[in-house]
Order: sequence, then structure tokens, then C-alpha cells
Amino acid sequence: MRRVLTATHLASLTRDTRPWLSCEECFERLDAYAERRAADPAHADPVMDTHLAGCSACAEEAESLVALLREDAVGPRPR
Amino acid sequence: MSTPLTGAVPGTRRRTSAAADAGPEPADWVLALTAGPGREDALRRLHALLVRAAWHQVLRMRGMLPGAGAVQLEELVQQTADEAMVAVLGKLSTFEGRSRFTTWAYKFALVQAAVEVRSQAWRSRQVVLEDAELAVDLGPSVEAYAEAADLAGAVQTALAEALTPHQRRVMLALVVDGVPIDVLAERLGTNRNALYKTLHDARVRVRTHLEGSGHLPPARPRRRRCDAS
Repeated sequence: MRRVLTATHLASLTRDTRPWLSCEECFERLDAYAERRAADPAHADPVMDTHLAGCSACAEEAESLVALLREDAVGPRPR
Repeated sequence: MSTPLTGAVPGTRRRTSAAADAGPEPADWVLALTAGPGREDALRRLHALLVRAAWHQVLRMRGMLPGAGAVQLEELVQQTADEAMVAVLGKLSTFEGRSRFTTWAYKFALVQAAVEVRSQAWRSRQVVLEDAELAVDLGPSVEAYAEAADLAGAVQTALAEALTPHQRRVMLALVVDGVPIDVLAERLGTNRNALYKTLHDARVRVRTHLEGSGHLPPARPRRRRCDAS
């Protein structure tokens, strides 16, 4: 098997993901983080942002939650 | 956004229908879900929320399941919402009010749905965990090509010299092969947390190696993490 490294791979392989935050801790913080991001797209949380930059699964779920909250904000409230 | 089969967004339709039929949501979800005459109604409302969140996630990742029809997607959503319901009710006592309850509940369904979609998408795909020859293709658009090629060579050396075989295999599977972390965890009999720690440690080792070889500037001293949130 032969793998090909691209510039994107290199950026991810060398990404600085310190300070450490586990996926479990990310999940714990996710709801409060998403509400702040939904209200203010420029909201910065360096620890969460670092984790999300290094973990594509958590990043997808965070983006999804922010998007869902924004839908709720413009549409009928879910019951 | 709509499903290709129905032309409607299922979660939205359900939400609108539920909104038309139901009264105001509980002021205190935890209390309403714990006891009292309104518990059944609160449970029904919670399930509707979780179905909406599950649909939201499944539709975002719809492209990963090109062969799935409407019935399969509906089953996936309902199963995910049911599992999230169990998780939410099991964790109810841990809700601290740092966000709205609905946001807190949503995340259980979103994550559950995302994990399930990734799992189904990779069900018949092989995950190869082995050391392999690494080639580099930086493409024509990379600026400062010579520097990038030099870094790529140094990264290859770091992967070979600074990582354990386990770290190297996990890192390459996740970063280069694009295996979803949940899928790799399932195949290896571990969990997302453990694999992310392996990836994090591998990145630290690669960076330290590159700093030692002069390909990256030395890391700045770090302050202790301050948990403000």
C-alpha cells in the first residue's frame, strides 16, 4: 500500500493541538460553546477551537449544533 | 435543504406539526422529565426534539450514505433518537444549566447520529492499519514549493523515527486515509477519546522532532489552561 501526503495532510500531521482537551471534555462543553458561537460567530474559545481544529469528528458535530441553533433562531421554536 | 425522496425536510415538518399541536414547552425540563403529571408530555416533547436533531445530522451527512433510501434513513433517525433519549434521561442529573436544556439535549442526538452515519458508511470498507510507503504530492499551487517539500521530507522522517508503530498507524489512518475516528475506534476495540489522545501525542512528537531539526520554530512556553467556560 502506498500513501500520498498532500499539503493538507502535512498541515494536519503537524498541527499544534496543545493545550490538551479530550473529546469527552469537548462534548461536555459543546452545548455552551455552540450557543455562544451561534449568537456570535466571532466568539473565541481557544481551548475548544484548538480541539475542534484537530478533531474532525468533534468539529463536524459542533458545526452541526451551531447550525441547528441558528435554524431554531430564525424558524419556529422546536417543542 | 430537502430529502431527495420527499422534497421536504423531515425534522422541520415534524417540528412545525408538533409546534401546532402542543402548548408551551416546560419551564423546567429536568423537573418535568423527572416526575409529575406532565412527565408523559415532556417525554414526548423531548423525543421530538431528538428526532429533529437526528434528522438535522443525518441530512448533513447524507452524502456518506448514497445507497440509503427513505425507509433506511427514517429507521436510522428513529433508532438514533431512541438511543439519545436513553442517554439524555440517564444523564439528566448532570445537566447544570450552562446552556438551554434543548441545546444540551440536541447534542446527544447529533453525536449519536453522526457516529451511526459514519459507522454505516464504513461498514463494508476495509481499514488498513499498516506501515506503508509514503509519497508526497504537494500540488502545483503550493507556494514556496522547495520549503514545503523540505518540510514534507522532515515530516516523513519524524513519522518514521519519532512515533511508535501504534502511533504511526493510528495517525496515518486518521489523517491520511481519512478513517473516521469512531470507525477506527470500533475496529480497534477502543474509543474516540483514547484514539484522539494517541493522535494528540503523535502530533506533539512530530512537532518536537521538527523543532529539533529546525523545521519548526521552538514552541513558546505555555500558560496553564484556564477553564473559563
